[in-house]
Amino acid sequence: MDFEFTKAQLMFKKEVLRFAKREILPRVREYDSKEAFDIESFRKLGEFGILGLHFPEEYGGEGADVVTTVLAGEALGEAGIDGGLTLSYGAHSFLCADTIFSHGTEAQKKKYIPKLVRGEWVGCMGLTEPEAGSDVAAMKTRAEKKEGAYVLNGNKMFITNGPVADVAVIYAKTEPDRHHAGISTFIVEKGTKGFSAGPPLKKMGVRTSPTSELIFQDCIIPEDNRLGNEGDGFLMAMQTVEWDRSALLAPFVGSATYLLKKCAKYARGREQFGRPIGKFQAIKHKLADIRIFSEAARSLVYRIAWCKDQGRPLNHLEAAVAKLFIGDWSLPVMNDAMVLHGGYGYCHEFDVERIFRDSRLAPIGGGTSDIQKMIISKLI
Amino acid sequence: MNFEFTETENAFINSIHEVIMPFTEELDLESSNPQQAEKTLRSLLPRLAEISYLNPFAGGDALSAVAMETLAAHSQSVFLSVETSTRLFGGVVNAWGNEKQKKRWLTPLVQGKIIGALALSEETLNIENDPLKTTGRENDDRILVTGDKSYVVNGPIADWIAVAGTFEDKVAFFMIRKGSRGLVTGKRLETLGYEGAVISPLRLMDCRISEDTVIGPFQEKGILNQLRLWENRMIIGAGLGMMKSSYETAKEYAKTHTSGGKPIIAYQEVGFKLAEMLTLYQTSQLLAYRAIWEAGKNPKTAESLMLCAKVFCTESAEKIASDALKILAGKGFCTGNPAERAYRCAKYTQIAGTSTEISRVKIGDEALGY
Repeated sequence: MDFEFTKAQLMFKKEVLRFAKREILPRVREYDSKEAFDIESFRKLGEFGILGLHFPEEYGGEGADVVTTVLAGEALGEAGIDGGLTLSYGAHSFLCADTIFSHGTEAQKKKYIPKLVRGEWVGCMGLTEPEAGSDVAAMKTRAEKKEGAYVLNGNKMFITNGPVADVAVIYAKTEPDRHHAGISTFIVEKGTKGFSAGPPLKKMGVRTSPTSELIFQDCIIPEDNRLGNEGDGFLMAMQTVEWDRSALLAPFVGSATYLLKKCAKYARGREQFGRPIGKFQAIKHKLADIRIFSEAARSLVYRIAWCKDQGRPLNHLEAAVAKLFIGDWSLPVMNDAMVLHGGYGYCHEFDVERIFRDSRLAPIGGGTSDIQKMIISKLI
Repeated sequence: MNFEFTETENAFINSIHEVIMPFTEELDLESSNPQQAEKTLRSLLPRLAEISYLNPFAGGDALSAVAMETLAAHSQSVFLSVETSTRLFGGVVNAWGNEKQKKRWLTPLVQGKIIGALALSEETLNIENDPLKTTGRENDDRILVTGDKSYVVNGPIADWIAVAGTFEDKVAFFMIRKGSRGLVTGKRLETLGYEGAVISPLRLMDCRISEDTVIGPFQEKGILNQLRLWENRMIIGAGLGMMKSSYETAKEYAKTHTSGGKPIIAYQEVGFKLAEMLTLYQTSQLLAYRAIWEAGKNPKTAESLMLCAKVFCTESAEKIASDALKILAGKGFCTGNPAERAYRCAKYTQIAGTSTEISRVKIGDEALGY
């Protein structure tokens, strides 16, 4: 075993950190307050190369390995970038673009990937429905084949980037009687007749990432926009889990590092009872717990990233372990960070409450902690 | 980066199983009879020597962590005795002994021919805040060692004891042979866990040793830190072993014990508990492997990461043992099963080495730049 990153990987992480602090961080608070998607920051991620990090250069990407890609995610969190922007990036690059890249025809890839990589287009993915969350096979959205095209009808729910997306990867049943095997995947472009997005949902956290319902009413999709074969949809959705448990979790790990520094700085400066509160052992204990969490969480995401770099099929047990740990164990840590800041921690200007709110998504999005326990208990 | 072990490394781990298995089957490794404990060690050590388990003194890599985990999962008491002898006593000789001293103690130690002990803790227990009171002073061509040591693992059965103390106001190790005049072994301690390990206080009353049995003295303050790091490494290994044995026992039971016509793992109360346990166990493993790997490469910068691993592994060990005990229900409450034993031993791992509380203070200090 060897836990060393290459020099190039570490240098890149530093660059991302510097870039994010300089270009994006100053805008975060404003957009979180406005509950608005910051397209300018999003495009900056594209210009810097982050949106297309792992795609080959011929599609406009950087050709980076998975570990480097995950490091970039960690760096964004470590820079203090909000969970909304990193979530929008995750849904865009991995759940949408990567699915097109992995299963699309050459023509589909050429058409969508370069635009997505640049941030010219925003992508989203629609799997969850109002009545089909973890139970994917229960989805009702129907794709009926008619005269060389598909007619989509149904609703998708909690779709990250839904209100702003130019292109959506949509899962729908082509054979409603079959469970997982009846699901197929389609690329749907904004403006397609019969396709609309609901109003943005008001959320506790990740507020700069707009979320909405997607509505399909007799929406006609040409056959050329089907991704892969009919019935392959479920497998495609499962493949995104690798990214979900590495690149999408990495910003949470980075956030903990950011918080650790922030808390330490506050504890050094804040004086009570005639001395900096950092001198009290109870404060040190809180700082220690933040550090322990981030160190414990870090190896979990890089194990998944490394395995993907080796071309191994995803180990679902390890993936669920990573998700469960980061989801459940980040909460007490974020809580500690907020309490350490006292009244200030409860106020918007100190960013701690934002990170606290953003982190609550970790045990919910992409499969709740209970679902992870279900997966693990079945696999053992 | 690489998250896997090679075939050779896996073969080494397997060989540890093979060596210890006959012992666990035939002997009571947790027997509180000190003679029995000594007998076990004297026959086990040469077998561990054959597979090079006793070799890597300075070794700090992920493989050494799994090796410790494997042995500790079989017997916490035997693990503590073997590691104290090999990694602590042996570590002192290997790191700071001169060539002659290495030949004298290290050679037989690697062959599994002698048992060693390290006497470090004193009454106050906190070696960071209070200087060691055990001292050596010159008397003619001899050195007289005086002091009291607490909680010496292997104390009553060791052939040689490395006693940490001060000599000419610097840190030194006095190598005391079993039965030396002036060495009084206190009453063997009865402990919450680790019944099979022989632990006692020691008293040294003008214990006369020759100059060539003193390692040091050294000015360097880092020596005590290094000892703590080794202790913590050993304790991390113990924690991993506890998690392994209690998790596996509970899993096995949950799959085979039926209730209401189905194995109890099929109930979410049990299945989800096992999922939480495995999550903590795997997370501990990765953190521990990385910390120990880092400590092997960069002992200075790895100090706080090791403390993170120590806190996390020892607290997870207690939690997993506690949950395993619940899954095992009545069986778990009966003395002698791995979960119940780990539950008791886990407390030691949180106290010994750098305690979890002091660890947190130190990790916090680093974050604060204090």
